[in-house]
Amino acid sequence: MMQTEEACSYMTFGAVMPFCKGCGHSNILKKLNDAMQMLHLDPMDVCLVTDIGCIGLADALFDKVHTVHTTHGRSTGFATGIAVADKVLAQKKLKTIVLIGDGGSMIGLLHIVNAALMNADVTVIVANNFLFGMTGGQTSSLTPEHFNTITSPFGSMNPSLDICSIADASKAGFIARKTATDKDLTQVIADAIAFGGFSIVEVLELCTEHGTKRNDLKGNMLAKMAEAEGHELGILKNDPLRKEFSLKYHDDVEVHKGEIKPLKFVEPLDNYNINRANGFVIAGSAGERVQSSAGMLSEASIKSGLNVTQKNDNPVTQGSGFSLSEVIISPNEINYTGVSSADYVIVVSENGLKELKGQKIFGRINDKTMFIVDESIDLGKEGLNVLSLPLRKYCGADKAALGAVDYIIRKFEPFPHEIFAGIIAKKFGEYGKIFKEGYYEL
Amino acid sequence: MYVRKYFPGNKNDSTMAVLTKKLALRSGNQMVAEGAIKAGCKFFAGYPITPASGIYKGLIDLLPVNDGIAVSSPDEISALAYCVGASMRGFKSMTATSGPGWALMIETVQYALITETPVVICVVQRLGPCTGGATQGGQGDILITEFATSGGFTIPVLYPSTAAECYEMTIEAFNWAEKYRTPVVLLSDKEIGMTTESIDYNALEDIKQVNREVIKHDDPMIDKWKMYGFDSPDMIAKFAEIGGKVKVTATGSAHNAMGNLKKNDPETISTIKHLEDKIQAHKDEMVRVKLDAEADAETLVISFGITARTMKDAVKLARSKGVKVSSLTIHSMFPIPEEAITSAAAECSRVIIAEENLNGQYRTMLAEILKLKEVIGVNSMGYMITPEDILERIMQ
Ligand code: SF4
Ligand SMILES: [Mg+2]
Repeated sequence: MMQTEEACSYMTFGAVMPFCKGCGHSNILKKLNDAMQMLHLDPMDVCLVTDIGCIGLADALFDKVHTVHTTHGRSTGFATGIAVADKVLAQKKLKTIVLIGDGGSMIGLLHIVNAALMNADVTVIVANNFLFGMTGGQTSSLTPEHFNTITSPFGSMNPSLDICSIADASKAGFIARKTATDKDLTQVIADAIAFGGFSIVEVLELCTEHGTKRNDLKGNMLAKMAEAEGHELGILKNDPLRKEFSLKYHDDVEVHKGEIKPLKFVEPLDNYNINRANGFVIAGSAGERVQSSAGMLSEASIKSGLNVTQKNDNPVTQGSGFSLSEVIISPNEINYTGVSSADYVIVVSENGLKELKGQKIFGRINDKTMFIVDESIDLGKEGLNVLSLPLRKYCGADKAALGAVDYIIRKFEPFPHEIFAGIIAKKFGEYGKIFKEGYYEL
Repeated sequence: MYVRKYFPGNKNDSTMAVLTKKLALRSGNQMVAEGAIKAGCKFFAGYPITPASGIYKGLIDLLPVNDGIAVSSPDEISALAYCVGASMRGFKSMTATSGPGWALMIETVQYALITETPVVICVVQRLGPCTGGATQGGQGDILITEFATSGGFTIPVLYPSTAAECYEMTIEAFNWAEKYRTPVVLLSDKEIGMTTESIDYNALEDIKQVNREVIKHDDPMIDKWKMYGFDSPDMIAKFAEIGGKVKVTATGSAHNAMGNLKKNDPETISTIKHLEDKIQAHKDEMVRVKLDAEADAETLVISFGITARTMKDAVKLARSKGVKVSSLTIHSMFPIPEEAITSAAAECSRVIIAEENLNGQYRTMLAEILKLKEVIGVNSMGYMITPEDILERIMQ
């Protein structure tokens, strides 16, 4: 325990470490306190994020800084949110430091990996005593091969994870592996905290309650043990070249914000010819602009002053199989968004027809329903009002659905055709040249 | 609201009147994103999932130009952890997901609850169980969103029915989160989230932003202030921001009013209990329902989300056949607006509850308060309930 009040700028003066005798955690926390002191950090600019496990008891000791004690493994995730919000949205003063054990570092590995990839300004200190101490000394993913724990009484079967290599593969800028008794540990922790971007320090240490009792192990053997696992020691990387997350974010926003399109609004005309809802069902194949043609119908409808709903359907893979849209246009409020009694059914491909039959389309029509289908389509049912048109021939596969919608607006005029013609012209050029000549004579 | 200038027959009238409407085609998901901006959301973390991805995309585009930030996270657990962290730093935060992602967030939502950290999670439901049907609708996550905590604490849940309501209720969800220092779930479903519809922006309700009360080091009451302190059940302690000059002590473990881990301690137990008490104390101001009452109606239909719209059509059809029927759309799913429901049902002998799930999740919640009524469920799985489905039960 530290002797003077002054030395305890971040910790409670006189607090008794809650750890077992000889536990490496006491040393690590003392050195963390010293490192912060070395950097002259304002305690209110420090956020200590602790994980589950004996090391997680640290937050109760650091009573002069902000402390957040989290769920198991998630500490780096919470820390990332804290650090990103601070750096991007606030005064950028905060030092966010995670204290996590070997068990927590594996359950929360993706949080560590992603914080490193983002280069969020977070320092992760992994207190690695090769086992789950708090729960009784069980094997963790950082337990070395042959290491004896209560759940590996014959020695651990797996080699241990090299978390520093994982950090390196995740492009972390500062990586160190030390032992708890290293003389320069304070300096290394201070360097990690001062580093502008993601940093990680793995500290090898002893759990005297469970580790040393089952293994012939002393503090001076930790380095050898790591080496036997093929894990290097020391400052493994100190490369500040990558920009810290918020700096890159601000640069990107500055450069690209002009590219973000403003939201679109329509000042509607008051110009339509229907006094009740009209339901359209449009079916075809993926890639044939079924949903975007429906979108243009919707856009034209609101331009005319009508209310609209457009409900799309497709398989999970958006680029294959059928594509379907149900559009309702109405001068009144639209509630149910499905078309239960269609006014118009458009079918431009077999894929579309198959899906429509699966969705029991013939039970969702009335005796006035108009089917507008490509000439290649056989609905296989008598007694329907069918207009069979050479849509694919005149409009092409990719605009057959558009041609069908256009045809309906031209012939049945739920609203003036010029509104629709204007919208498709904006996208495809002069209206009279979008389709082959024969189309306009249909 | 406006006078029609155009009638069939004068199609060639070239002077088209312009309506005083500001219309746009928007999906419910997009309106959640726009509502979040209006609510003052500054941080979004997203992980893609159909049918919620539109919210993620919407805020990726909107936040950078509204003094905020949206980040991509490597999974749903991170998404919510990032949001809770950002909120602890002092910024309104949100994420969005569907059932499978919610399953992963349940741990972290409990963390937000016990640390009394405001955050909004939009759950856009799809067909379950498990990964279920990504592009199929459903209303099967009502109970799993509400009962996501060990101990059964109330997570406030709001559920809009239209894209316009998505906008309004997103603002409400943020306001609740801020005011009551709690996670709030904004429920949606595939049909609301992904269907585009016309919205008149001029008709959107103007809901004022509520911001959490933040404790300052020079607050005259600072000596009495505690991170999770309260004098009465309705009291919500002022929020301390990480990085502010008042120390934050947060933990997911059972803690006393200061935030210190304490076992077998009466103060700790009462601090935990207060998580529920504070919501119950405010539940009367959290009632959001729409009643369409008809005098002498024998039947009341209750629904929510996409099915509430279907219910409206069914009720209209029934009334056109001379049947007297009332309807109640529920937006504040939890805390359950019990009084609003019992008073709407008071004069009715039958209550029909329509929801797109296997066996009536919300209906089971209402069994006790409607025990003197004949309660009928209209349910479906894998397809939208139709107006005819509901009408059939009304007419029986
Ligand atoms: S159980 Fe092990 S890790 Fe925990 S305090 Fe004791 S020695 Fe330290
Ligand atoms: Mg350990």
